[in-house]
Amino acid sequence: MASAVPSSFMLSEYLEKLPGATFRKLYQQPSTAFAIFRRMLPPLAKVYVQALLYMSTPFSVKDLNVWVRPEGETASKRAIGILRSLHIVQVGQPDKTRPQEIQLTANFKRSLRLALEGGGSHNSFGVPSTLPVDPQIDIAFLDVWAGRIWQDILYYVVNSVPIRTDNRAGSSGYSAHGGPRAAVRELLLMGGLVQRRDGGAVQISEHGFNFLLQEANAQVWTLLLLWLEAADRSRAAGQPGTNLDNVEMLSFLFMLASLELGHAYDTSALTETRRNMLPALADFGLIYIDPRNRDQYFPTRLATTLTSSSSALRSVSASLDAATKKTPGDAGSLGTNPAATDENGGIVVETNYRLYAYTSSPLQIAILNLFSRLNMRWPNMVSARLTRESVREAIADGITANQIISYLAAHAHPQMVRQAAAKGTPVLPPTVVDQIRLWQLESERMRTTPGFLFKDFDSLDEYVDMSKYAEEIGVLVWKNDRRRIFFVSKVEQLRDWLRARKKGV
Amino acid sequence: MPRAIRGVLIECEPAIKSILVHIDSNELKNDAIIEDLDDTRLVVKEQMVKTLKSRLNEKLKETYRPEQPLEDSD
Repeated sequence: MASAVPSSFMLSEYLEKLPGATFRKLYQQPSTAFAIFRRMLPPLAKVYVQALLYMSTPFSVKDLNVWVRPEGETASKRAIGILRSLHIVQVGQPDKTRPQEIQLTANFKRSLRLALEGGGSHNSFGVPSTLPVDPQIDIAFLDVWAGRIWQDILYYVVNSVPIRTDNRAGSSGYSAHGGPRAAVRELLLMGGLVQRRDGGAVQISEHGFNFLLQEANAQVWTLLLLWLEAADRSRAAGQPGTNLDNVEMLSFLFMLASLELGHAYDTSALTETRRNMLPALADFGLIYIDPRNRDQYFPTRLATTLTSSSSALRSVSASLDAATKKTPGDAGSLGTNPAATDENGGIVVETNYRLYAYTSSPLQIAILNLFSRLNMRWPNMVSARLTRESVREAIADGITANQIISYLAAHAHPQMVRQAAAKGTPVLPPTVVDQIRLWQLESERMRTTPGFLFKDFDSLDEYVDMSKYAEEIGVLVWKNDRRRIFFVSKVEQLRDWLRARKKGV
Repeated sequence: MPRAIRGVLIECEPAIKSILVHIDSNELKNDAIIEDLDDTRLVVKEQMVKTLKSRLNEKLKETYRPEQPLEDSD
């Protein structure tokens, strides 16, 4: 897996693997159609969807191409490629009687119209609870609660002892156990974020490193996708045939994303599958269920920002950060958030590769330990040193030099930031930054791209047409015209293209 | 019909590529490389990437001089 993959990319990879029938079921829910539209589509694809949404008849592809300037043709083909892979549009085959036509798939069209117009009785956007709400459960409370759950999961991944603090969320029965629930731990183990060592203890893995350095929202999606895949697998092992749960789970996640933070929603309006999902979602910190009133559930910020754009993600981590800062004795311990700039998380980097981190958070110390040699630890500070070996080990574990550098820069001590701003110099010493990059170059001898090699073409025309198409949809990685071979990163659309071409000839 | 073969594209310096070719023919019985593309590119089997990487690192270690730890009082 490449490092620092944006979350929407991982989600689209998962979605692209689903069969068309699953999409048809998914798009029966207006909230799903709306979330996919909002989150998964590039701007141009959105324009096409908006244009096609209220057309009563299929639209000819030739007319659509009139909208596109010659230099934008590639972008246009790419946008339509995405729409097709998500089963949002159908593009017909051209034949002698009719020109090639494009239209939205029926379910998507109906659902997106419903979502925009607000009609129907689908309850797709959640049913607010009519019962009285405990005034204690406000947005601040939910933020603190979700922040703590999520932090416990991160602590578990870095394999450090969970900190117990007495805060407001603790009074709701959460503090009865340290660390995430057994089910969540199983999931992390199964997803390969942690590995079991011989003694039975767990240890962070290569994927775990990447996971830790992702943004909060990307982390949530990683975990949710692991969960979906686990459910897929257990269903395949148990009772095969029904694929309904998969659809239910996904569309429930998209629905959660459309709910409003700080409002209570009615559990009895949910289907049984969805009700069964609630405990697991509470374990992830996506929803909060008041132990005294189980008829209501509250989406937390982790849930309501699932499908929002990247600018909103930053405000998630910022707000989680603010939430943890309010927690007494636990300030700044949400170390993975780049926004953490409080005094307690300050890291000083010297030109001689030494680090001094003013922190007592086991999470932050564990992260530092991933790429530096720790020397000493005092009650409020640790000292460490970046060495060739420590950085190389980190890189072998899948952390990139840029991740290390941006982590150090984001957590730099305020004094370093202030001095750098006064003198107009970079925050981190340039020698250290360059050396970290050089160490990475040294250990990265080869660049790998998984994909497919195409060869043995029947004719030059076939090669030229196909490589040109691969380039247009943006999957071509390398080609050699003389040898008539090329390498692509994805094969699905090319396969369809070949099939269509075969029929056409 | 063209053939599509699943694999991993490796891009590296010519020197590294020749070491990889050497490893493939002498140690792995030509079981890793699917196609030799040019001086800097190879397509190899997905499951062999890890083996190739570790063998390459072993080979490079022979040429690597360990750094002297800095003398100081940490």
